[in-house]
Amino acid sequence: MILHLDMDAFFASVEQQDHPELRGKPVIISGRSMRAVVSTASYEARVFGVRSAMPLFQAVKLCPQATVIQGRMGRYKDVSQSIFNILQDFSPQVEPVSIDEAYLDIRGCERIMGSPLFMAQTIKDTIRQKEGLTCSIGISPLKFLSKIASDMNKPDGITIIGVDEVQGVIHDLPIRKVPGVGETTFKYLEQLGVRTLGDIKRVSAETLKNRIGVFGLRLKDLSQGIDSTCVIPLAERKSISTEQTLDKDTGNREQLKRMLLMQADDVARQLRQKKVKARTVSLKITFSNFKQHTRRHTVQTPIQSAREIYKEALALFEKEHLPLFLRLIGLGTSGLIPEDQPVQALLFADSDKNGTEKWEKAERAMDSILGKYGKNTVKRAVSKDFNVDPGD
Amino acid sequence: MKFTIRKSDITDILSKVQGITGRKSNLAITANILVKTNETGISFIATDLETGFEGNYPANVESTGVITINARKFFEIVQNFPSDDILIEEVERQWIRISSDKVEYHIVGMSPDDFPDIPVLEDVQYMEIDAIKLRKMIEKTIMISPSSDEKRAHITGVFFESVKEDHGKIIRMVSTDGRRLSKAEFVSGGDLDFYDSPGVIIPKKGLSEVSKLLDSDGIIAIGVKDNYFIVKKDHETIIIGLLEGDFPAYSEIVVKDDHNSIKIEKRNFNMMLKRMSILSTESYNGVIFNFEKNRLMVTATNPDLGESKENFSITFDREPIEVAFNPKYFMETISVIEEDSIMINIRDSKSPCIIEGTEDKHFLSVIMPMKI
Repeated sequence: MILHLDMDAFFASVEQQDHPELRGKPVIISGRSMRAVVSTASYEARVFGVRSAMPLFQAVKLCPQATVIQGRMGRYKDVSQSIFNILQDFSPQVEPVSIDEAYLDIRGCERIMGSPLFMAQTIKDTIRQKEGLTCSIGISPLKFLSKIASDMNKPDGITIIGVDEVQGVIHDLPIRKVPGVGETTFKYLEQLGVRTLGDIKRVSAETLKNRIGVFGLRLKDLSQGIDSTCVIPLAERKSISTEQTLDKDTGNREQLKRMLLMQADDVARQLRQKKVKARTVSLKITFSNFKQHTRRHTVQTPIQSAREIYKEALALFEKEHLPLFLRLIGLGTSGLIPEDQPVQALLFADSDKNGTEKWEKAERAMDSILGKYGKNTVKRAVSKDFNVDPGD
Repeated sequence: MKFTIRKSDITDILSKVQGITGRKSNLAITANILVKTNETGISFIATDLETGFEGNYPANVESTGVITINARKFFEIVQNFPSDDILIEEVERQWIRISSDKVEYHIVGMSPDDFPDIPVLEDVQYMEIDAIKLRKMIEKTIMISPSSDEKRAHITGVFFESVKEDHGKIIRMVSTDGRRLSKAEFVSGGDLDFYDSPGVIIPKKGLSEVSKLLDSDGIIAIGVKDNYFIVKKDHETIIIGLLEGDFPAYSEIVVKDDHNSIKIEKRNFNMMLKRMSILSTESYNGVIFNFEKNRLMVTATNPDLGESKENFSITFDREPIEVAFNPKYFMETISVIEEDSIMINIRDSKSPCIIEGTEDKHFLSVIMPMKI
């Protein structure tokens, strides 16, 4: 069975949790400026018709009494991490879809964790206890159905589609609800007389392929209860990266370098969590005119520490001319290999090796402090605007 | 300037200088070859600003002068020329005509005034060495090549020295990439000129150009002067700018003290390595070697592909050793050992492994294990 978990109005709920005075009231989480759109609306605001991705001014018009809060991504990421840590306790096969959504492969977990219903209930209880948040869970034998199921009983619901019920659900499932069916596909299918996923069975694979391409064949499979996609845990991801849109476009190299250092910390922490090292470091920048540059460099000996990742990213960044201000900067790693793989030793002592090892220790120590005392209890001096050369 | 030259005299050398002229430098003109007339014929000069080449070839000179011409195009024209005699003439400033009675090219050159100078070195003390032996020493050492973004002199260059030692007058070359190291020696014979030379670092790129010229038997001269390494044949000279930097102290790691010496048949060992490296990729290149009583058990694991293992009979009677290596390093090293068996000297999982031939002790190679 595959479990899909979706947090309920995640950003808004986190704010309501952090600010008790907002509980039970309409809350809108926005981007940074007035041209922004609604990123999340609390259920109290949704009653007024406020929806995600709606222009903010329109949302405020619909629900003038709502409290509009500028999103605090850092905080949401922290909460999200804590939720993912909880999920990891239930199954090793956790695939993060986004900051507030994940798939868990729970096959084989029954003997330890109990029935799917019991497991879903335990997950919900644990998240509520630890973070005070609610979520909706869908469980079914098929990945795509689980996602649909989690949406059936929102918020704070559990929907389980048993093996015997799959055919029935597929038969009646409105085709528009199937993930991937957008406006265009929907129109085509409507012309073919398809209203539910079950109706797809009547359409030949050839017609589907000609009309909507490869996705048509996937729909055919889904209609027959076949979903070949599986849960892909984070550890098997091919890359680990992070990027940030800047508060304000800038050409200030010192500021950008500081951001790269923070990102290197972030990426290195994820590498350590996943117990992998990276062979390739990449830098991504977007100029104010939205033109994007990426540069990458592959090192011979895989690296894991923030210090080494930063060093590589910095070398890539130094090669960039900045004719325009940047609106986004990002750092990525790929070519991930397990950290316990044999590593080529060097013939001659590397003058930098000692430093690297010490920093690796320091970084691991930081991990444990953060793990024990929470985010932001230790951080780099440069992140507090001290002008210190990073890494020294 | 006007001269006639024979295609057969210059095709080969024009092909050999392509490595120099084809290398990007920050001067566009280094893609050209400079041609000038002299008393006996003409000289070709090429440079990439690090390695300079000069060669003299017979020609029938009607009038003197200097031109530069794109080396690649000049070579292609000469290589495909229909007759052996080629008439080359500067018809007007920097327009070069290359012709015979049937075919004619007009090629635009660049001003010889812009061509960088090749250093003129006087009072060089030349040592003599057999050309083929020098070529083999170069091949055995530059085989350990640096990655394209490598900057460190001791990796982009080969350590070179000539010293009188107990066992003779030694010309020595040592190369490393930080993970392995190869050392090749030449013992100078009694009647060959020999001078002591302090240790210098010669760029591998330049040495590879030298090795192309060392294609026939004969004695050639080499020397170190100022900041240059010079190789002189009868008609050709190569001058390479030395690299600045220190070569690491390597003498300790090439000493076999309490190593286990294992004699292994080269061909079978190579086949085994080849089989084990089928599963190795850029990310997973480690192979585990288990030295046990009279057998070597080798296993390769690649999480993306699978695993392989092989048993190999050896004579071994000490404490078992488990050690990981990149099999490619072994294969490359034994490919340059010209003997049927090799000696593998191994101590433990952390110390470098020393490989050499069973008879010839003038070449040895050190391979650092991988940390398991």
